[in-house]
Amino acid sequence: MNFKERILTTLNHEEPDQIPVMGLIMDPSTVSQVTGKSATNIVNFLDKPVLGKVAKGLVNTNWFWNRMYYGNFALAMESSIQLGFDANWSIYALMKLYEDPASTLGTAMHDAYGRVWEMGTNDRGDLSVDYSRALCPTEAEWEAWVDAKAPLFDQLVKNATGFHKKLADKYSHRIMPIGYAAPGIFENSWQAIGFVNFTKLVYENPEFVKRVVAFQTDLYLRYLEGVMDSGVEVVLGGDDLGQKTGPLMRPALIDKFFGESYRRVAELVHSRGRKFIFHSCGKIYQFLDMFIDWGFDGIITMEPTADMDLARVREQVGHKLALVGNLDVSHLLVRGSHKEVDQAVRDAIRAAGPGGGYILSAAHSHPYVDATRLQWMVEAAHEHGRYPLQG
Amino acid sequence: MSAQEMEKLKEALLDLNKAGVLEVVSATATTADLQAAKLAVEAIAGALQVVGKRFQEGEWFLDELVYSGEIAKQAMEKLSPILCDETQPTQGCVVIGTVFGDLHDLGKDIFINFATSAGFKVIDLGVNVSVEAFTKAVLEHQPVALGISCLLTPAAGGIPQVIQDLVEKGVRESLKIIVGGAALTEKFSLEVGADAFAPDAVTGTDIIRAWSEGQ
Ligand code: B12
Repeated sequence: MNFKERILTTLNHEEPDQIPVMGLIMDPSTVSQVTGKSATNIVNFLDKPVLGKVAKGLVNTNWFWNRMYYGNFALAMESSIQLGFDANWSIYALMKLYEDPASTLGTAMHDAYGRVWEMGTNDRGDLSVDYSRALCPTEAEWEAWVDAKAPLFDQLVKNATGFHKKLADKYSHRIMPIGYAAPGIFENSWQAIGFVNFTKLVYENPEFVKRVVAFQTDLYLRYLEGVMDSGVEVVLGGDDLGQKTGPLMRPALIDKFFGESYRRVAELVHSRGRKFIFHSCGKIYQFLDMFIDWGFDGIITMEPTADMDLARVREQVGHKLALVGNLDVSHLLVRGSHKEVDQAVRDAIRAAGPGGGYILSAAHSHPYVDATRLQWMVEAAHEHGRYPLQG
Repeated sequence: MSAQEMEKLKEALLDLNKAGVLEVVSATATTADLQAAKLAVEAIAGALQVVGKRFQEGEWFLDELVYSGEIAKQAMEKLSPILCDETQPTQGCVVIGTVFGDLHDLGKDIFINFATSAGFKVIDLGVNVSVEAFTKAVLEHQPVALGISCLLTPAAGGIPQVIQDLVEKGVRESLKIIVGGAALTEKFSLEVGADAFAPDAVTGTDIIRAWSEGQ
């Protein structure tokens, strides 16, 4: 079996030749560890008097942004291939640089949906770009934003389609690119407004919240179409619905405001003959039955630090959902010993491997996820993951 | 404020009835009666204890925790002109921030709401807070406790750095340090020299209250 057959077989809940392994590689630190090449770190240029101005201008052009973004992900794909993964995710984002006195550097990225992303250089000298603030805390600001940004949304869909296609064309004979349509409808709804404000609006102005969700749903469905037009065969959707001890919002409220949207997402993906896997961090047992009901094909993350236990998840959902992930990124894949990684892989395979329907992967990615540990993870999967599984 | 009114206030908050809560505290605020305002604060803090318990037991969810905290915050804003007449804040000052490299702020903000509603004056340093900024704020405000939030493993190494700097500046002894967030465990927190780890905001508030009262 090749990597693609392995992934598709397991997603159909049949046993492939061996447990497939997926990379969640995107962080420049992990990439530079594997390839020895660093991703473009524009923060280094921004401070320089002349070069900084040129860099800012360049980053805000569509062609340079796309080139830089693609370049970084191409390196992530190369790293995943080198580490022996069967698949890797690919995510697109469209951001513009703005003068932003409230940010640490005085300059920050604003994305198409209305988020501020702080840029920085982590202690390894690699670029970090992280969501920090909402740009549309009120109803009026949100309405003005979506009115003004209509051309940017078109651009976003077009760029994302091109980005995923270019990666799929270049890499799909060596690894399976999994198109990650993220952030999802829940995150795009609350993060432009801020969690606290969004929560207040859920209680005090539900009609507005419904409008926001409807808008984000339509945009997301367009975005998904684009990702699928690129040719990728498995689609991830991303929305964190959980936190360490439980749901980020009462599950019944999530179902009320977002359930119909998620159903439409699953229907659209299925109408194009593809599988839809849903990424959510946190402790999400209470959503698992909803995921099945909404029509999702699988879930990815199952964060052990949020008490997500693979065997318990499998017991709850049976083979109605494929499972992806669960290897800890707090200790195990950061500084765990070879023996610990080996044991964790064995445990995961024992818990979720029988009957197919499991793809081994890290629970998430962050700059300290260590390439050597990822390598051990892949090797352990090859060693212990041959079907028929032993004991 | 009568026991009945206190009960009404508590119930309104537990029903997430913002209008009901604000009605009672606005009436209290117009009397400018310090004793009544203190009883209102007591009722609010009592209700938040119940909220916290419901959250810990999985009966209530984060949105309810956040929204009740927001209602409590608005109620406290109405009462604060009366309470500020007092020279001493009831419980003392707490400085809090999310450690350098980490931009997660929801947990920190919930803790701030709970600590404020329990009568603490809270200095919020925001997210991505450097070692120097933590130390500067401690020197300036002389808080009862310093709270550090951390959800990212890559950022957790910042906590011992903050503590080390406080030791070097000679202020560690007079200060309690409490930490919380997804990346941390009690074992790690105590190993790096914090005084306490809080798995949630309610426990955190209970701990700093005990510290403040023990002073
Ligand atoms: C929401 C979320 C985000 C949001 C943050 C929005 C915001 N403004 O805060 C977004 C999407 C932006 C985000 C980004 C990232 N995240 Co994040 N995120 C989460 C998630 C799902 C929930 C966190 C949360 O808000 N919980 C709700 C609050 C209320 O809970 P809490 O923070 O735990 O706080 C409670 C207690 O811990 C305590 N508490 C917290 N702080 C303090 C402090 C004191 C003093 C006290 C007393 C108590 C206390 O009280 C609170 C209330 O009871 C967690 C999953 C998880 N397990 O928690 C991942 C998680 C924290 N994220 C993670 C990661 C990897 C990231 C990213 C690196 C992802 C990426 N690759 O880009 C970035 C990093 C950004 C950065 N530099 O900070 C990982 C961290 C793994 C690790 N061990 O390092 C987690 C654990 C998810 C996972 N699958 O592993 N994230």
